[in-house]
Amino acid sequence: MSTPPTASALLDRPAWPAKRLAIWGAIALVLALLPAAITNGYYLTLATNVAITMILTLSLNFTIGRIGLFSLAHSAFLGIGAYLTAILAQRHGVSPWLTLPVAIAGSCTAAAIIGVPVLRLRGMFLSVATLAFGLFAEVFARQASDVTGGAYGITGIPPLVLFGIPLRGTGMYLVALTVLLLTALILENIRLSRFGRAIAASRDNEPAAAAAGIDIARTRLAGFILSAGFAATAGWVYAFFHLTLNPYVLSLDITFVWLFIVLVGGLGSMRGTAAATVLLGIGPELLGFASTQQVLISGILVLVVVLLAPRGIGGLIEDMEHRIKGTTHG
Amino acid sequence: MEFLPLILLSGLQVGCVYAMMALSYFVIINATGILNFAQGEWMMLSAVFGAALITAQLPYPLAVLCAIGGATLVSLLAERLVIRPLQGRNADINTLVVALLGILVVVRYSTGLIFGREEVRLDGPLPAEPMILGDSLFILPQTLFVFGATATVFAGLWLFLHRTTFGRSFRIAAIDPLGAQIVGVDLGRVRFAAFAIGGLIAAILAWLYGPLYAAGYLMGEAPGVKGFIALIIGGLVSPLGALTGGLLLGLFEVATAYYIGSLYSEGIAFVMLMLFLFVRPQGLIASRWRLG
Repeated sequence: MSTPPTASALLDRPAWPAKRLAIWGAIALVLALLPAAITNGYYLTLATNVAITMILTLSLNFTIGRIGLFSLAHSAFLGIGAYLTAILAQRHGVSPWLTLPVAIAGSCTAAAIIGVPVLRLRGMFLSVATLAFGLFAEVFARQASDVTGGAYGITGIPPLVLFGIPLRGTGMYLVALTVLLLTALILENIRLSRFGRAIAASRDNEPAAAAAGIDIARTRLAGFILSAGFAATAGWVYAFFHLTLNPYVLSLDITFVWLFIVLVGGLGSMRGTAAATVLLGIGPELLGFASTQQVLISGILVLVVVLLAPRGIGGLIEDMEHRIKGTTHG
Repeated sequence: MEFLPLILLSGLQVGCVYAMMALSYFVIINATGILNFAQGEWMMLSAVFGAALITAQLPYPLAVLCAIGGATLVSLLAERLVIRPLQGRNADINTLVVALLGILVVVRYSTGLIFGREEVRLDGPLPAEPMILGDSLFILPQTLFVFGATATVFAGLWLFLHRTTFGRSFRIAAIDPLGAQIVGVDLGRVRFAAFAIGGLIAAILAWLYGPLYAAGYLMGEAPGVKGFIALIIGGLVSPLGALTGGLLLGLFEVATAYYIGSLYSEGIAFVMLMLFLFVRPQGLIASRWRLG
């Protein structure tokens, strides 16, 4: 740290050091080989569910922690993606792979339409307006039986096929894992990119960001639409993993659980969010709690975290790192 | 047109429910700046608790009083145990939102766990037989009770805010928290009282809405969201905004259900919210609150 960074070093995106590449590669390899170690189908299902949930929590962490938008419409974007996928693949015989761009485009369009008025709101008002959209999406899926199959939903979705082999079990786990790793990679790259720094600047200091030539409204909207795209991709994986779909996927309470995971993990911390997703995704199941109690447990946990450890797991990890390196933060 | 009186009656009835919900948000937001997401859950608690007490053979008036008191008490507990510590250490608004959602989820699901997940009937205070007024016109006693109770609660709150010293300190706290403290308003006391009154209104609402629907642990969700939408439509500046927004939303929903289809009636609330955010974000009754 003897020479000050040059101007070009500040403007260029930081390179990916070899160490970081190695860590990511190792994580990907271990997770990809996981099915070889897991012989029990139940645990494989659990792992796939955790992977799908993590796509959602990582993108929600991006929306809330990085952009600073307290959006509760994530279940709606997941649902739009999943329902578009299911309807196209099951009723209209569209190739499963072709449904992915449609699902993403559908969710992103919805995000763009509601984003324009809703992103003008602040704090709690934004939360409730997005909550209202989530409720609307859930009620629509329940009631518009002609389109969505109503409360029974859509069954008999054809599986994804790769090289003539239908993907189930281990195959779908690997698909979910691939999407998850791509999501994490893209989000991490965005964090380091010009766009990512514009987002962070808009969140931290609006007047300064605007003075630096950042179009705050447009930057936020772009981030919001992007995160809806990730949610839609998670919905696409969800539809082909479960091969059935019902309005439960749109339940607002599930959105709350994702939100709690992000908070327990520590706002803005990708590592913390990932750790909390695994913890809350696997913990209650292994302890033998029913899935409805999982919602209750996550609620209690988030109250404890908010009151006692406001920076979440991510904050604890950082504190530990600083202690190991012998430095202090702040 | 022959169904117009019925549409008006049932629209106003639904509207009263939304208006009461909006009013319970209004009391808290005006005095503390907090939009308490969990308001719908106090209503749910009061209804579920009351239904259980009635099943346990408690005399009806006593069951109603205990249920309303119990739900209000939980609202105060939430303020004391969660909101106050958070505001005490100047937590940001996001932390508060999460804490409120945490309270909502914990209350909702522990109620489901303790009282069961089935929806049960909740008896209204008046007999259930409809009163025939004309060829195709009838009215339920419960509807009259909804109108009467809503009018009473709104009038009572207006008198409290405008005619009592403590009520006036609520309004001062809303206009200028710092100035209020200088002239001797205890903001902590105001916040506590706001949660008490907000919780009380929601708990009373259970006995308007519950008998029309049913008592169950998920019943707070939809009225909770719609009450907020009603408040945005009406404006956040006075109880009149809550009333106007609630009645308007109720009338629009019922009219949409009748003339276009029940599927669209659920969407109308969201469409109206979007329209107002676009065209008149300050609400019908102009507001000094800045939303964006």
